[in-house]
Amino acid sequence: MLAEQIVNGLVLGSMYALIALGYTLVFGVLDKLNFAHGDIFMFGGFVGVSVLALGAPLWAGAVAAFVACGVLGLLVELVSFRKFRSHDAQVTAALSSLACSIILIDATQKVWGTEPVALTLATAIRTASITVEGLRVAWVNIGILALTLLLMAALYVLIVRTRMGRNIRAVADSAVAAELLGIDVTRVTQQTFFLASGLAGLAGVMLAVRTGFVTTELGLTFGIKALAVMAIGGMGDLRGAVVGGLLAGLVEAMATQLGLGKFGDMAVWLLMILVLLVRPAGLFGGLRKETRA
Amino acid sequence: MADAPVLEVRGIKVGYGPIKAIRDCSLDVAAGETVAVVGANGAGKTTLLRAISRMLPLEAGEIRFAGQSVAGRRTHLLARDGLLHVPEGRGVMPNLSVWENIRISWEVRPTEIAFEAALQRVFERFPRLAERRMQRAGTLSGGEQQMLALARAIANPPRLLLLDEPSLGLSPIMIAEAYKALRQFQADGMTILLVEQNVHAALRFAQRAYILKQGEIVAQGTGEGLLADPDMLKHYLGSK
Repeated sequence: MLAEQIVNGLVLGSMYALIALGYTLVFGVLDKLNFAHGDIFMFGGFVGVSVLALGAPLWAGAVAAFVACGVLGLLVELVSFRKFRSHDAQVTAALSSLACSIILIDATQKVWGTEPVALTLATAIRTASITVEGLRVAWVNIGILALTLLLMAALYVLIVRTRMGRNIRAVADSAVAAELLGIDVTRVTQQTFFLASGLAGLAGVMLAVRTGFVTTELGLTFGIKALAVMAIGGMGDLRGAVVGGLLAGLVEAMATQLGLGKFGDMAVWLLMILVLLVRPAGLFGGLRKETRA
Repeated sequence: MADAPVLEVRGIKVGYGPIKAIRDCSLDVAAGETVAVVGANGAGKTTLLRAISRMLPLEAGEIRFAGQSVAGRRTHLLARDGLLHVPEGRGVMPNLSVWENIRISWEVRPTEIAFEAALQRVFERFPRLAERRMQRAGTLSGGEQQMLALARAIANPPRLLLLDEPSLGLSPIMIAEAYKALRQFQADGMTILLVEQNVHAALRFAQRAYILKQGEIVAQGTGEGLLADPDMLKHYLGSK
C-alpha cells in the first residue's frame, strides 16, 4: 500500500514537474509569470482526447497536443508578452496572460461543453498492469514515468549542450547583453514559449490517459499546482521544478496514505507556504539569483 | 567606398522624453582607428553608444555603420553585421561558463575561424581564462570578467568594437591590464570606439578623441594633443 502510494506520488509528481518546467523556463527568460500556462496544459488534454477519438494512435495524440499547445504558447507570447518586455510591465503581462487563460477555458467549453469528456482508448491499455514483488503497477504509470524522465533528460541536453539552450540561458541571464551580442531575443523567447507550452500539452495527454477523461477545470485545479511547484523549487530553476514536482507529488500521495485524502488538494499549497517561510527563494533559488546582473 | 569611415555620426539628437541626453554630436571612426569619447559622468557617453547600436532611437541626425544608415535596423542584426558593443558592466553572462561565453560570441556571427582556433587565440592572450574555462563567469573577479568581455572581440573579430567604460570598477592594476589588452587590439588593426570617464587612460590609448559635455561635442584632437592641454581638459571635464 505504501509502495503503491509512492509510485502514485512519483507519477503525479512527474506530471507536476513537466508543467512546472514550462512555468520556470518562461520565468527564467522573461522574469514574468505566464498565467495561461496551466490552461494550455488543460487544452493539451482536450487535443489529445479529440485526436484519439478519431482513432489515431496514442503517439499521434501526444504529438498533436505538443504542437497545438506549442502554437498556442506562441500566440500567448505575441499578445501578452511581446509588447510588455520592460520590467515595469510585469503586472500588465501577468494580467494579460490571465485573460488568455480564462478565454481559453471559455473557448474550450464552447467547443467541448462543460461536462467531462471521456477518453476513447481501449480499456485494456489503460488498465493493463504488471506485478513486481507483490506490487501491482499500471503500465500507464510506468509509461508516464518513463516518458517524463526521457523528456527531462532531453530538455537537460537541449538546455545545457545545444546552441539553442545556450541562447535561452544567455537571454535568461541578461536580455540586453544577449541582444548586443547578436542573439535574436524575440526568437529565443518564442522558442522558449513553444517548448514550455508543448511540454504542458504532453502532460495534459498523460493525465487524460491516466484518469480516462478531461475537464476544463484541470487548469485551475491540477495545472496551477505547478505554479506552487515552481515556487517550491525556486523560480527559474530547472532542477527546482523537477525536485519540487516530485516532492509535491509524494506529499500528496502521503496525505492519502495517512488517511488525509481530503487534504490532498491543499497539500501542495501548504508545502509551498512552509518551504517559502523557511527558504523564501525556494529550494534551489538564490543559488543563481545572487550572481544575477 | 574603401575610404568611407566604419562609423559616421552626423548631428544626432537623442533623448529620454523631454531630457536631451545628446543634443548635438558628430564624429567619425575610420577603419583601423582607435577613437575615444571622454566626458564627465552624465555627459551622454553611454547614450551615444546605445544610439549607435540602435538600443535608443534618434530624434535627429544620422548614424552610418560600414557605409549604411542604421535607421530601422535591429540591434541584434547590427551585432551580426560586426558591430560589437560591450556595455557598461561588461555584459558577460554570469550563469554561463567561461567556455560558453566565448562560444556564444563566436557562433552568433558567421566567421571563417574554426572554434578551436578561436578558443586558442583567446587563451593565448588571456591564459587566466584558460584556467577558468569551466567556471561560471559570475564567479570571476572583475578584472577576469573584463578579460572575458574583451575575449569576444578575439573569438570573432568585429568590424567595430564599442566599449563602454572598460576601466569602470577595476583596480588600477586591472585597468592597466585591460588597456594592455586593448593596445594589442590596436596593434592587430581593430577599429575601436570607447567612451571613458578615466580621461588619462583613454587619451593615452586613443589615436583621436572627442570631448563630450552635456550632450555636445565641445572639442576634439589627437589623444596626445588633448593630454598636452591640461587647462582645456580642466575647463571641459572639471577635473585635473
